[in-house]
Amino acid sequence: MTATTLPSQRLSGLREFGSSVVTIMSKELRSRFRGRRAFVVLTLYLGILALIAYGAYISAVPAASQPGLPEPDGSNVGAANASAIVGQAIFAMLSVFQLMLVAFLAPAFTTGAISLEREKATLDLLITTPLRPGAIVVGKLLSALAFVVLMIVAGIPVSALVLMYGGAAVQDIVRAQIVLFAAAIGFGVIGLFCSALTKRTQSATVVAYSTVLFLTVGTFFIWRLWTAGLAGTVAEPFGPANRAPEQLLYLNPAIAMVEIVADTEITTGDMGKIMAEVRGTGGIQCSGDVCFTDTEGGGAIIPVEGKPGVFADCPPNARCAAPPVQTVFDPRPVETGHFLPRFTLTFAGLSLLLTLASMRLVVPAGPGFRLRRRNPAEAPETGL
Amino acid sequence: MTPIIETRDLVKRYDGELAVAGIDLTVGPGEIYGLVGPNGAGKTTTMRILATLLAPTAGEARVCGIDVTADPVEVRRRIGYMPDFYGVYDDLRVWEYLDFFARCYSVPAGRRAGMIGELLEIVGLAEKRDSYVEALSRGMRQRLCLAHTLVHDPQLLILDEPASGLDPRARVEMREILRELRGMGKTILVSSHILSEVAELCTSVGIIDRGRLLRSGQIAEIERSLRATALLRIDVLSDGEAAISWLGTDPRVGDVLAVSSEAGMTRLEVPFDGPADEQAAMLQGMIAAGHTVSSFSQATSDLEEIFLKVTGNDEETAA
Repeated sequence: MTATTLPSQRLSGLREFGSSVVTIMSKELRSRFRGRRAFVVLTLYLGILALIAYGAYISAVPAASQPGLPEPDGSNVGAANASAIVGQAIFAMLSVFQLMLVAFLAPAFTTGAISLEREKATLDLLITTPLRPGAIVVGKLLSALAFVVLMIVAGIPVSALVLMYGGAAVQDIVRAQIVLFAAAIGFGVIGLFCSALTKRTQSATVVAYSTVLFLTVGTFFIWRLWTAGLAGTVAEPFGPANRAPEQLLYLNPAIAMVEIVADTEITTGDMGKIMAEVRGTGGIQCSGDVCFTDTEGGGAIIPVEGKPGVFADCPPNARCAAPPVQTVFDPRPVETGHFLPRFTLTFAGLSLLLTLASMRLVVPAGPGFRLRRRNPAEAPETGL
Repeated sequence: MTPIIETRDLVKRYDGELAVAGIDLTVGPGEIYGLVGPNGAGKTTTMRILATLLAPTAGEARVCGIDVTADPVEVRRRIGYMPDFYGVYDDLRVWEYLDFFARCYSVPAGRRAGMIGELLEIVGLAEKRDSYVEALSRGMRQRLCLAHTLVHDPQLLILDEPASGLDPRARVEMREILRELRGMGKTILVSSHILSEVAELCTSVGIIDRGRLLRSGQIAEIERSLRATALLRIDVLSDGEAAISWLGTDPRVGDVLAVSSEAGMTRLEVPFDGPADEQAAMLQGMIAAGHTVSSFSQATSDLEEIFLKVTGNDEETAA
């Protein structure tokens, strides 16, 4: 076999794979979007999304319309920030809600993908066609994700409402959508893998949702417990040494989303507190070269013992600008957008691995069968 | 000419249990081969190996000369497989169902519509074209599944119990369709646990039990070999004991069994190893010996009995 024929072979193989995927997708989508169900679900979803945006608006307005607290220089940021406070509140609510929704919906669409075919005994008919297991798995995955993706995309205009108020920029919304897409694909693949792994959809559902729960909540709690266990054992109070490996949190889409929202917060809010813990700044916020601590009491700035440059006598709930600070507690600048790329890459890798594993599981006959047709070019070693 | 199906020493073991214990099967082009055996004999396992759904533990299986484990995809292009138990996609219309499978086999778009019409005509579902699959009766689904095996015009059809679970009318319809397919020149491997069901349809039959192919060949040969050990049912009005002892002197007769004895009539079941003319000769001899025979017939033994007999014989010869 000459080398020139190889690319064209690969190309036709690719085209065949593509058309197989389309075959599966068109059949799946045909039954999924048949009738009114899909449209009712989408309408309901957008309605709820709009209600949540409205709810966030209603609850943010009183706080935002309070006269602002005087800055040390006499200016009043509160009033100036009113619109941003509302926008940020809407952004925070929408992002968190959408992520929760993706966590619930993405596995729901895929946990039946393979096991339902097994239960209804339709898989044998499908396997005995020349379709490659890979094409079946990918076609099923894409058609299942199509609806989740449609929901995310349809929700973008609602999120874009935030741009009217400010508080979150276009790139913040884009970042949130990236997390949503990555989470949708990852959770969808987890559902698909469980579906290929188990015989029954019921057990696939249990395993898939347990995994999703572990990734979104479990990893964070393990990280916290681990970190708590380390407390006091390490000499330096700040920095990575006294915290559990943050790689554990790369698996957590919630942390990536919380970080995005926290970075838009004007004063440290709930998300900011979580991130402060994760970042190991221990509630110490740095703005440029100015750092100050937040206490449970509500943001009063207190001096930290033995550290120069931090002042007392700041009124409660005040944002106090510090006099030039030489020493900060954690001298590293706070890195925003730290978890987004790491989470996205981790989830992409995880999705790829699980998709490949699912393909292997769909092959019915075990190791005796190959995934791919033997390439005639690599057949018996002749002419060596 | 290469046989369409060829297996050599085919073995399949499930968790140590032998489902197929060395089957050598050869089916030539254009043959309708009936695989007959009781439940659990290994019919389905053999068919699933040929349909590339199971890998054999040992031995070889070839379809159209292609090894099923080496190149399953090429084998799949050449076969149409109908499992004994299967489901259908409820939420599709009949034509969509066939269209989906036609696309799976990369049938060009231009040919699909016409082909689906023809197939529905063959299986008698033309007027159900736009119905939902879930609205079809069991017999119709069976025919739809049969139609799906034909979308890519395969050389070989592997049909696992195509008539099981059907009412008599649907059975007849299914048989008519298979006959039509035979006319189209398809090679068909069909399984059943009822010999008479496949006997009139098939050109060759293989009898399979406990993973072994006990008999294989032309239908006439098999019938002859089965008839050789016919079970005769003889009603005697005279002394039953005397008749039994008279029959016992014949070397071709096995262990005679008195089934019932009432109102002066004794019913005997007599295993007889000989063809019809020898049976007639024995009847003449029996009457000449003074036994009053009121009825002499070949007991229509069910398949299980025949199998027990066939397996028993094989074990003896093997020993």
